[in-house]
This record gives sequence, structure tokens and C-alpha cells, in this order.
Amino acid sequence: MSDKKLSTEDILAQIRGGGAPTPASDAAEDSPAPAPVEEAAPEAPATASAPAPAASGPAPTSTTDIMAAIRGGGGGAAAGAPPAAAAAAAAAPAASGPAPSGTANILASIRGGGAGAPAAAPAAAAAKPKAAAPVDTAKAAGMSAAEMIKAARAGVARSNPETGAPEQPPKKVVLPAKPLKKKAGASDRREFLAGAIGVLLSPVVWAWGSLVAATTASGLAMARFMMPNVLVEPPTKFKIGPPTDYGAGTVSTKWKAQFGVWIVNDEIDGQQMIYALSTVCTHLGCTPNWLEGEQKFKCPCHGSGFYKTGINFEGPAPRPLERHGISLAADGMLEVDKSVKFQRELGQWDIAASFVPV
Amino acid sequence: MNPHPDLTSSVIHGLGWYYLIVFFMNLYWTVRSYKVDGEFASGVPVVGGLPVAAVWACISSVLLMISVAHFTGTGSPDTFMIRLPEFFKNPVDAFFADPVVYFLGSVSLFVFMVVFREWWVKDSVAWSLLQASLIFMGLSMSDYDFRQIVGKPDNVPIVAMLFIVAFLTWIYFRRATDNDRRVAEGRPLFEQEDNEKVLVWPDLVYTELICMILLTALLIFWGIGLEAPLEEPASSVKTPNPSKAPWYFLGLQEMLVYFDPWLAGVVLPGIILGGLMAVPYIDFNKAGNGYYCFKDRWFAVSTFLFGFFPLWIALIVLGTFLRGPNWNFYGIYELWDVHKVKAANNVNLSEYVWSLFGGVPTGSDILTILKRECVGIVLVLGYFFVLPPLLGLTILRRFFVRMGVLRFLVFSNLILWMAVLPIKMVLRWSFSLKYIVGIPEWFFNI
Repeated sequence: MSDKKLSTEDILAQIRGGGAPTPASDAAEDSPAPAPVEEAAPEAPATASAPAPAASGPAPTSTTDIMAAIRGGGGGAAAGAPPAAAAAAAAAPAASGPAPSGTANILASIRGGGAGAPAAAPAAAAAKPKAAAPVDTAKAAGMSAAEMIKAARAGVARSNPETGAPEQPPKKVVLPAKPLKKKAGASDRREFLAGAIGVLLSPVVWAWGSLVAATTASGLAMARFMMPNVLVEPPTKFKIGPPTDYGAGTVSTKWKAQFGVWIVNDEIDGQQMIYALSTVCTHLGCTPNWLEGEQKFKCPCHGSGFYKTGINFEGPAPRPLERHGISLAADGMLEVDKSVKFQRELGQWDIAASFVPV
Repeated sequence: MNPHPDLTSSVIHGLGWYYLIVFFMNLYWTVRSYKVDGEFASGVPVVGGLPVAAVWACISSVLLMISVAHFTGTGSPDTFMIRLPEFFKNPVDAFFADPVVYFLGSVSLFVFMVVFREWWVKDSVAWSLLQASLIFMGLSMSDYDFRQIVGKPDNVPIVAMLFIVAFLTWIYFRRATDNDRRVAEGRPLFEQEDNEKVLVWPDLVYTELICMILLTALLIFWGIGLEAPLEEPASSVKTPNPSKAPWYFLGLQEMLVYFDPWLAGVVLPGIILGGLMAVPYIDFNKAGNGYYCFKDRWFAVSTFLFGFFPLWIALIVLGTFLRGPNWNFYGIYELWDVHKVKAANNVNLSEYVWSLFGGVPTGSDILTILKRECVGIVLVLGYFFVLPPLLGLTILRRFFVRMGVLRFLVFSNLILWMAVLPIKMVLRWSFSLKYIVGIPEWFFNI
């Protein structure tokens, strides 16, 4: 190791290595594997161009190694046969020794620190887990992750037919068998009832039950607020004075702040009439302003413009302003009814309740 | 007494400090230029080389004189000479108050930025651009209306944002062009050569801590110095004029001018978010992973930057500085006159079409409505269903081959949705087109 400042990768590599010797020397010194493997191991780094992970080395130390070892686990005693070793040098990862195939074995091999045999697994203890560290070599050869996985898979596929070695099937996960259900006969009914009551009275059920009850109660209480006892809103029907208050051709804004209507006296199709326009822009509901100079309603939010009649002509508003109901009450006063609305695009401006002729 | 004076004593005093700061910045640059470029910069097409440091020294001294003139001229603001002339203000106003010119200008600026990236990322060029923008800001501050818009507490962060965005863009393009050059010359990438990796503890954490403290201090002093822009109590019948969204939504608010609310407020933002999430699944270009580059990813970078600069940043600037009362366009030196009349009469496509065939069919039954809007419906359906295969077979054939049918359809639809925005804006500005399909009876407008 040079005196160069260590990079993060170097530090990590050191930690993972745990002070263990490098794969090649490890294989040469204390490997109980047969000779061909010893030959193959020093070769592996040299054959950089081959997509071959090394055939020997310490126990798997990183997640990728473990994955590769599991995949290569079928290799079994491949190292026993010389042709197998050759194959391992060519393409096979994790060729020697029964690779740790179960989680327990992997954990044990990790605890073993790559030096000794996993104590917990007697089967693995017999033959030292010589699962190679293919990934390190592969990294040295500049392989991508995809290539490594491919190489690992190819190793599984190739080593088996060539070695003919007894293949250790990967351990199957055995689910604990479900306890057989007894059929509830008549004699078991009392037992069943007691069990059911026990479940119902358990703290978990109580806790969740009370939570559900409390949430439901508060939800209902919230829903109650939707129907208030008293509604503090301006009345929807109100009188706005006699028609003579609204001179011909004028737009009155005096009810805008209180009730949200403009009272317009205008001539439409040759008929002089008074109508009440809603002050809600049909684009997004802002309140436009009446510009006396330009004789138009102009919305400050997105620039929609409406003529005095309420018809949209500029900006994004898709339809004219809405009219509210207006009528002449018995006492000669105009009465606006905000509970109804009349939309021009639906042809409702012809309805008599939408205007008062003067 | 003019109620809206262009210059007052306090403004002149403040500008004096402003130019003093700019002077010190350029003084530093003069020294740096002398050290880096030498007495005579080589590589400049001037005989004997250009004395770059001397030029910067001249600029610095002029700035110092301007600063001193401001400090001494505070007594008579009406006769103070250093201000923007009207012959400069009026064309600039005309430029900014015309949305077509503004939008096309922002698009051409974007193209310029991408094409001439090698040139403008150079140290001296970038610094000159920064100084030009600072002096432009300082001179413009002598205008009352500009000061009102830019100095509004709401808008101060937007001005800061412009400079920050410019700086970050400069960093990107500088490192990208550097790496592009390295790739072309076969040298290792900057990221490989200059490994910036540090240990999280303590190096990174300490850096972050210091940044956090500085930023918190900045926010506190900002909060003290600039008052929060509070307005009168809200009222359902009184809308502020102009009524502006928060600055980061001004692009969307601008879209609301051209599109129906459900489209601009729901569909388009949804497509923007969904589309950005889909990018990793659409992108098949493996280059550019972990290093700055432009040439390796020119399509992706240009597409993103087009959506970011002309379609987002430029629209935020438009909404902040150029949209005034009644949502009209105003130049940056123009008075926000509530009674400015801008003739506009927007017409639906159906009205255009049916005016050729003797009037729009009236009636509110389904068949009449569909007949009325048939041209727009056909256009919209064609845009979204016919155009993707056409593009895939012609100009985007390369993408179609690499992506496969499904990915290409998603990709081309996202591109088409992005193109919808400028198309509709330009149609509105040039043809007063309101909606391509306008069915207010069903609240369905495109």
C-alpha cells in the first residue's frame, strides 16, 4: 500500500477484507483444495480479458459475493476434477467447495471472517467453503454488474455437465406445516366458544376497536358541522329599490360588496331591461371589476373581459357571466333572487325571470 | 412636485453604494486579470495583444467615478445626470410589453445559450455579462416604475433567482463544455481526474453545518430588512388587482390565461410531474452518467432546458414583472395604469370556421354541439393520435427504433404536450384564438 491518501473505496475494501490475506495468496497457502485449483487461482488475475471470476478465495464477504455464491452453489465439488478446474479458470465462479446456500450458512461464513470454516454448519465445515470472490476479480477485469451476473449464471450452467460431480441441490425453504385443523364437532363447540371470547377480549382487539369507535364518533361529529343550526349568510332574496334607481345604460355596483351582483339597465335586442349579473368570473371565480371608461367587466386574475351584457369577449373565460333571478315585487320594488341562476349558453336568458323589462 | 420622481436623494445615495460594490468587484477582477492574463492577453486579434487588465482597470475607475458622483449629487436629484434616457426606455418597453416579441426573444436567447455555449462560459465573457447585467440593473433603478416592480418585497427573491439560475447554468455549461472537449481530445473526464470525494464525517457534515448557519442568518436578516408583503383582509367580492399567484406558480397562472382551468390547473401539472417521473424509463441513452456533458446527451439536455427556461423561468419573469393591473402586459419602465386599454377579442376556432360557412350552428343538443366543434375535435384527435406515429416514422425514427412502440408513444405524447403550451400561446397572441374546442355547455374547452 502506497502512502497515497486512501479513497473511500479503498477504506471500504479494507474493512470488508477484515485484514484477510488477498485471494491469491490465501488460495496458495492454506487451501485444502486439490492442486488444479491452486494452479487456477494465481492464473485468474492474469487472464484479465476472460470474463472469469477467480476459482478460489476467502469466503464471501459482500452481498454481491453471496449472491454469486448462491447462484454458483450448484457447482458443488467441481474442484475435485481437473477439467472442472479448467472450466473454473475459464468461466466458472464459485467452483470449489459447497458454497453457502442457506442464510444460516452465509451468516456463519461471514462470522468466520473468511478464515475458518463456518462452525455452525457441519456439512460446510467438512469442506471449507471455497466460494470464490468472483466479483473482486471481475471488478479488476472491468466487468459490469450485468456481465458478472451473466458470468455467474454461465458458470452454473457449464460446470455441472462438465464435471458430472454430484450436485448439491440448493436448500429448499421448508415452510412450517400448518397445524391441521380439527373439525369442530359438537363436543368442541364449548372449546371454540371459549376461544372466540378470549380473542374478542384480547387487548389488541380492544385497542383497535376503541380506535375505530373514536374515529367514527369524531367523523360523525365533523359531519354534523356541515348542517349548522344557524346560517349567517346574506339572504338569497333581497329588494334593491325601484327600477327608477337604475338609469338606462348604467351598471350599478352598489350591491357588489354586500350581495355580489351588478344591476345593469341595458338594451338587448331592442328591449330595455334590468338584469342582475353575478360577480363571479366564469373562468376561476375571481371577482372582476367594472371599468366605466372601457364599458367592460375585467377580471384581475387572468384578464377575462365581459361586455356590459355579461358576454365574454377576451381572456380565457369560457362562457358569459351568469344572471340571477330578478322580478318586480308587489310593492313596486325590484327583488333579486340569488338562489337561481340563468346561463346564456344554455339559452336561459330568454326566461322571463332573468330580467325585468322597463 | 412629481409624485413619482425617477430619482430621489435616498435613491441616489443607495445607488452610490451599489456602484461602489460593483467597483470593488471589478477591482478584484482587474487584479485577477493581471495575474491570469498577464500584461497583454495573447490570443486576442489585436496587434501585440490586448491589455485586458488595463481595460478592466479603466472600467473600474469609471465605476468609482460614477459612485462618487452619486454620493456628491444627492442634493439635487431633479438635475442629476446619470439616469436612463427616454430613447432607451421606450424601445425596451415596446419589447417587453409585446408578448410575442418577449416569448420569441426568450426562445432565441435559449438557442443562443445552447449554440454559443463554448463562448459565453469563458471567464472573461461570463464576467462581462454579469457586470453588464449589474450596470443595467443600476441604471434601471433610476426609473420610478422599474423600482416599484423590482423593489417590491414579493419580487426581490425573483431578482435573486435570476442571478442564481444564471450562475448555476453557467456552472453546468462550463463543466459540460470542458468535459466535451476532454472527450474529443481523448483526455480523462474532469470528474475522474479531480476526485472531489470527501469523508461524510467530518468534512461534509461540517460544510453543511456552516452552510445551514449562514443561510439561516441570511433568512433572518432578510425577514427583518424586508417587510412581509401583507395585504388587506380577504374578501370574496374584492380581488386584488392584479391578483398574482405565488412566484413559483406564475408559470401556471400564465398558462391559465390560455387554457381552461381543468387543463391548465390539473392536467398540465399532472403531466409535468408524471412526465418527469417517466424520464428514467424513457431514456435509453446510457451516456452522461456521473459527469457533466452536453454532447453525449444533447437531446435530453436541450429538451429539459427548453421546458425550464422559456416555458418556466421566462414565464415566471413574465408574470412577475410584466403582468400588471387587469392582467395586461406592461413594459418594465411603464406605469401600471389601471385604465390601460388593450384591445382583445378572442374567438373560438369554431367561430372562425363557421364564419366561412354562414354562421355558427345554434342549439344545445349533443349533435349540434359536436357539429359546431367538429373541426377542433378532429384537429385535437389528429394531434394526439396521428402525429405520434407520423413522427415515429419520419423525423423521430431513430427514437422509435430504439424505444419500441409503448415507450415511444409515451415519449412522443409528452413531447407533444410540452409543445402544446407555446403553440396555444402563439395562436392566442397572433390569431386571438380562444379555444380550439370550446364546449362551455359541458365545461370542456381545449
